[in-house]
Amino acid sequence: MSENPLLAPIHGITLEDYSAACAKLGSGLSENDVAKALGVELPVWQEANLLWPERMKQDGTFHIVTLFGQYFGQADQHPKFGNLKPVVSAEGANNTEKIKTDIDFYQELEVARQVAYEYGIDGAQWIADKYGINLGDFQVAASIWNEQIQKDLQTDYAKYNENQDTYRAKYKHLFAEAQGGNVADDIEF
Amino acid sequence: MSDEEKKKPLTYLEKLRQSALNQKNYGGEVNMEEARVEARDCPNCGAGRAYRHGLTACAYCGFTFMDIKLTDGVHIKKENNS
Amino acid sequence: MFNFFEKEYDNPALIEKIKQTQNKWISFLEKLEARMKEMCMGALPELKEVFEQDNDPYKRAHGRMVSALQGQLGQMREKANEVKEEKVFNFVHHASATIPPITTKAGRKYDDMLYAFRQVCLDRHRIFEEKIHYYFSLLKGTTGQQDLEADYQEQLTAFESIKDKFGCKQCGGNITIPKLFFIATYVTCPFCHTQNTFLPSTATQLVFHNARSLAEQRTAHLLKAYEESETKAPGLYQQYLRSMFDEWNKIVPDMAEENEKFYQRLLKDNSIDHH
Repeated sequence: MSENPLLAPIHGITLEDYSAACAKLGSGLSENDVAKALGVELPVWQEANLLWPERMKQDGTFHIVTLFGQYFGQADQHPKFGNLKPVVSAEGANNTEKIKTDIDFYQELEVARQVAYEYGIDGAQWIADKYGINLGDFQVAASIWNEQIQKDLQTDYAKYNENQDTYRAKYKHLFAEAQGGNVADDIEF
Repeated sequence: MSDEEKKKPLTYLEKLRQSALNQKNYGGEVNMEEARVEARDCPNCGAGRAYRHGLTACAYCGFTFMDIKLTDGVHIKKENNS
Repeated sequence: MFNFFEKEYDNPALIEKIKQTQNKWISFLEKLEARMKEMCMGALPELKEVFEQDNDPYKRAHGRMVSALQGQLGQMREKANEVKEEKVFNFVHHASATIPPITTKAGRKYDDMLYAFRQVCLDRHRIFEEKIHYYFSLLKGTTGQQDLEADYQEQLTAFESIKDKFGCKQCGGNITIPKLFFIATYVTCPFCHTQNTFLPSTATQLVFHNARSLAEQRTAHLLKAYEESETKAPGLYQQYLRSMFDEWNKIVPDMAEENEKFYQRLLKDNSIDHH
């Protein structure tokens, strides 16, 4: 794979570095923090941050973007970022751990997040407020579970759907109630 | 339609508007900063950051600012390696 | 009509039920449509105000509001689908089991009646769906109000007025920023050769963030010409794409080389799609 020119490091920043950096930006680290962890100055980081997405755009095979997703999910294992964690509550830390180890917990919150948007609530903020999980860690969990979910979908589509419907119903009820019902609740057949 | 029914969507809109405006944006408000210039001194010899032999090392004491190999980027090019 | 061979099957109650169900279905959809119209029309001026009041450069309060309204449209759509399933499809299914076989005259008559009922209900539902779709677009359209051209011109003017006003952090000598940088960039002091780092304003970074959208706004007429052309001529699309990229490159000349690579990829994808 190293022959692929689209995978060559940009200013010494590899795709692994870049993917982990993006995950960490999502968990609340600043661009300066990230640049420092990578051992570069801000202009160098910002160029890499501009050019890696260009490489993904230029790659019609989606290979780079697929790898990006994989490395993103492994951000916690990246040696340059291993010790860099934003400050979170104990409960937040537990939930952050849980979402990366418990697929059902992740799937339920993913549905909750989507339904929140349908009710005009920023789903990412809702999850941060309610569970102390930041967007970066949520996206890391998404990359961790993506493959398993595809597999489950293929093995038992009906069951997958049923679970999704249950979650959807639960959160629709919750968010609708919070806003005093849906606009057309009173219209019946 | 009764008055009660007519009121419903409007009350909803009023509430929705408040909720949309009052919610905190994820990651906080965008801090609108002005353009500025910064410079870094060499942490090793204290000299100003001069450009003589590239960007990655101190021009005076050779201290490594960045342990990387610059490639051809947008403004920064290979030639900027010390 | 006389029928000497069999006592004709007759089920006036079913006929009445079909008629009633059809009327109820239509009136149910009409009520939903009236509600969605009221909601969306009432929302338009509110959305405009929120858009203007929203200080967030990404206009997220406005985005949340649009998303919620679309969520309510989705809610109405789901409601109609549930009723369609229960009161139209299930009804036809159960009623079909109670009528004589379609090999008989009466069976055919009732089967035709149920078929016609189902068709009328589905046709009406299609109109309902079209309306939902219309309101979805209407709400979505309220996000296109941002005048990106004005923002961009404002940044160009602002840059002209500040580009000579920076001083070297080392010697205080005057540094002129050679062009509108969108990212942090090293600039060398012409006097003491110190490497300073120029950090563009947040507003300038946002202009860059919106560069493609601005290029799309500038060339929207070409995309429209393609979309409205009867044959959807690929030549017209390519003309649009080229112009859009030209505009994009004018806004961020530093990215022209990268943009061209992306353009080539899109052309390639496009030619594959047309085979």
